[in-house]
Amino acid sequence: MTAPVSRRQLLGYGLGAAVMASIAGCASPGSTAVNAAPTIPPAGGKVTLTYWSWLKNLQKVADIWNAKNPNVQVETVWIPASNDGGYQKLFSALAAHSGPDLAQIEMRKLPAFILVNGLVDLSRYGADDHAGRYDPTLWNQVSYNGGVFGIPQDSGPVGFFYQDELLEQVGAEPPETWDDWAALAGELRRAKAYLDCFPLSDPSIFTAYATQSGATWLKTHDDGWSIDMTGDATMRVARFFDNAIKKDLVTTAYEPFSPAWFSAAANGKLASITSASWADALIKGVSGAKGKWRVADMPRWGNAGYGSTYMGGSTAAVLANSQHPHEALQFATWMTTSQEGINTLIEHCGIGWSPCPDIIGESRKGPSEFFSGQSYNEEVFAPAVKQQNPDWTWGPLTQQTFNILSDQFRKQASGGTLVDAVARAEGEIMTAFRQKGLSIRKADHS
Amino acid sequence: MTKHLKYTPWVLMAPFLALFLLTFILPILAAVGSSFTKVRREGLFGEEGIVSEFAWFENYAQALADGGFIASIGRMVLFGLVQVPVMMLLATVLAILLESASARWPGFFRAAYFLPYGIPGVIATILWSFLYVPGLSPIIDAAAVVGIELNFLGPSTVLWSIANIVTWTYTGYNMMIIIAQLKSIPGELYEAARVDGASGWQVAWKIQLPLIRPALVLTTVFSIIGTMQLFAEPQVLSTSSTAIDSQYTPNLSAYTTAFAYNAYNAAAAQAVLIALAAFILSFAFLRLTNRKSV
Amino acid sequence: MTATQTRLDHQPARTRRAAPNSRDRSAGRSKASTIITTGILVVVALYFLVPVYWVVLAATKTTEDLFASNGFWFGSSFNLWTNVVQVLTYDGGVFVRWFANSVLYAGVGAVGATYFAAAGGYALAKYEFRGRNAIFGTVLGGVLVPGTAIALPLFLLFSQLGLANTYWSVLLPSLVSPFGLFLCRIYASASMDTSLMEAARLDGASELRIFHTLGLKILTPALVTVFLFQLVSIWNNYFLPLVMLADSSLYPITLGLNNWSSQVERLPEFYELTTGGVLLSVIPLGIAMIVLQRFWRGGLTEGAVK
Repeated sequence: MTAPVSRRQLLGYGLGAAVMASIAGCASPGSTAVNAAPTIPPAGGKVTLTYWSWLKNLQKVADIWNAKNPNVQVETVWIPASNDGGYQKLFSALAAHSGPDLAQIEMRKLPAFILVNGLVDLSRYGADDHAGRYDPTLWNQVSYNGGVFGIPQDSGPVGFFYQDELLEQVGAEPPETWDDWAALAGELRRAKAYLDCFPLSDPSIFTAYATQSGATWLKTHDDGWSIDMTGDATMRVARFFDNAIKKDLVTTAYEPFSPAWFSAAANGKLASITSASWADALIKGVSGAKGKWRVADMPRWGNAGYGSTYMGGSTAAVLANSQHPHEALQFATWMTTSQEGINTLIEHCGIGWSPCPDIIGESRKGPSEFFSGQSYNEEVFAPAVKQQNPDWTWGPLTQQTFNILSDQFRKQASGGTLVDAVARAEGEIMTAFRQKGLSIRKADHS
Repeated sequence: MTKHLKYTPWVLMAPFLALFLLTFILPILAAVGSSFTKVRREGLFGEEGIVSEFAWFENYAQALADGGFIASIGRMVLFGLVQVPVMMLLATVLAILLESASARWPGFFRAAYFLPYGIPGVIATILWSFLYVPGLSPIIDAAAVVGIELNFLGPSTVLWSIANIVTWTYTGYNMMIIIAQLKSIPGELYEAARVDGASGWQVAWKIQLPLIRPALVLTTVFSIIGTMQLFAEPQVLSTSSTAIDSQYTPNLSAYTTAFAYNAYNAAAAQAVLIALAAFILSFAFLRLTNRKSV
Repeated sequence: MTATQTRLDHQPARTRRAAPNSRDRSAGRSKASTIITTGILVVVALYFLVPVYWVVLAATKTTEDLFASNGFWFGSSFNLWTNVVQVLTYDGGVFVRWFANSVLYAGVGAVGATYFAAAGGYALAKYEFRGRNAIFGTVLGGVLVPGTAIALPLFLLFSQLGLANTYWSVLLPSLVSPFGLFLCRIYASASMDTSLMEAARLDGASELRIFHTLGLKILTPALVTVFLFQLVSIWNNYFLPLVMLADSSLYPITLGLNNWSSQVERLPEFYELTTGGVLLSVIPLGIAMIVLQRFWRGGLTEGAVK
């Protein structure tokens, strides 16, 4: 009768070992250091690359490349946009040691993918040779630790979209500074219209304003991250909009491009929106808007900060499990810096602003019939690209940061202030960094 | 023979147990293990080394301090308190009506009610979302004609729109189980009731309800577990309703934490808490019904 | 759980006595009550059928018509055939592939799960051995753990084993049904006479042979229930494949259709694909449910779920 005992013991040992193994193994999926492994040489024969992206009709652009490059064929796969499911799919594929060669990843999300060792450092495949063709501000946002983790694909320089007639009613010109903007908003309130809305549930535009004002929330150091969300540049923006909300100069009742926003814009209740270049396509959805809208430069924070800023923007990144990073890089640079790549991306995919300052795309030149005959791309956005905060760095927890911020912003409705919200969010974000095992400290004000 | 008998049950159970070990026991142990683990990263992204450490209850504290996660559990409790009784009541009434001699075409009705059970939650939600979305929904159009403005997807209504989908899908299934139990009630009991001059109501109340109690208990426990794992319906509906955030249900929250925030350890803690909550709620319900029956 | 369990143990005795559907079950009935009852049943049936009716109509419409015409009647054009062809041919017939995947996952999973649950339940019911109750108790605990709470750690485990994003990652978990084992054990201990097994042993049959001939035969009604239960729950599963699969060619139909429907906002032509796809997937399921509900009822009444 010794058999059962030893069997049970055996089972016990086996189970214990399995548990230990799984605990150790499951600690952090995707922790193989792809960028420490030897580089993969260019393929000899024909290769097929897959590119996961939420751009519609991207295959039409890939087909142009495919026709010219029989040895490097690109297949595109549509995935849900960003946080609507696309990133979840990508992370899950990475954890399963699979996934596409290329994926569309927003600038602000890149570091989250670096954190799980999900991206190939393209500088090891010669990406630096192409650096000169891209907007240096964007190139900075894909560069970390001396590596390059994505090829900028589009961006969103910010301008001031406005309804000409509504501004003329109060005898106003587009505001040059945010103080002018506040005065104009006050006059429009007397005419029962709002100048703009301020979204509490999406902090993207607040972040863009802070960036314009000169803020750089996160900085990288040898020993980790530093954070500064309570410096003058950010507080200036928070105080300004606290005041604007308190005086009812902006509405928080709806979000940009929500059904309520469209109806307010169509009924002359909303005079303008400060948004990125890609908002032009959305504004065209306002009913009866043709010929009524124009675009001007973004208002400035007096003498401080920058002339414009950016919102949105994505990259074509090469994922860790790609067997053909060389070819993937070739395709990505062709797509984003060649005339035909940029033109067809605009034509078929309606992509955002070109990351290549020399080529804005043929269809974006010349006067626009919709925007009252204005050549707004050349007049406003092309110059705006040169007046952006070049120092901004995205951190690895942007989505959490934005969720924390918007949770705090929503307390506005029950009497909180943005100034408090930002300060509190800063503390929570530091906690979140530490929970990820990252080191972060408060930046010293100097 | 004894030797045979000693090994045979293990041989018979081996495939089940092996798979049970792989797909239940190991993941649960792994989840528990990883919920007590945290990582420390050196450098900006951990490029200079990643260390796993024992975290004690840090991940649990984090999950329990997460307002969104706690709110999602509260939301599911509210959902369960309303949706489960409504569905069970509906299923019971339908079962009794179908089993009463007053019903015409019981076969047709039974099939019609049971049909949605075969439609996956995702597809049911896509189907209903067409009836919820303004511009597509004939229901909203019809209500607008008589001057009622319906919004199925607003912050205060969308939870009940989800409840409707769940009720639509599972009522027929629960009804079938109750019907099965009703059919097992011996005919003599009905005879006796008729001799005593009992009305239809009395039969339902005094004979049928007490005898289908076990079926009701079982299906309610399954519904409670089902409520705790609500995922597909809110996830699919979130594309048409801004009122559903990424932490709308506990499961959605765990999914977001794992695959959007990449915080697998925190997600494991959430998964363990979800399982515990389902366990506690099911047991509480069983205890409650047990005590009453004693 | 013990409460249900003891009740379950008592059940089959009463069940067997149950008269097959006595016509006069209700004490009081009249013409009025027939009309009222049937009226209620019709109204409820409308509730259950309206969404299906809507999608049947929607599948006949172009996207333009979908928004322009009344949802409860046909549009100006009859586009059913075009829509169906489009669904079946889009992206190289990926819809057919998803459907086949679903059939594979649900079919293989349900057959395997039923067989394994039968063997396990039979062993637990018919043999005395150490650890029997511990095993049964553990498996019973498995019934109460939400499947989705397991899916996440299972994904992490499978990704370490290199199984994530393969057919196996969905199939393996589908092969286990703790609820099925529970049913089979209850049914086997209630309805299977040990003396039959003894007789077979005297005839020289091996234990495995006894299970495969005698055991499976007697367990059949319970097996039907377990099979149908597992079939439907695999077919309807969404969370597990969502977590496991990144490659859309491995998708079951639930994931595939959701992939289409999430594109409608950007590309309105996906409305036609989604409504057509939903219709095509609902039709076979509807027929299956109508056919299967008979067996379902049979399995339940004669056997187990009480």
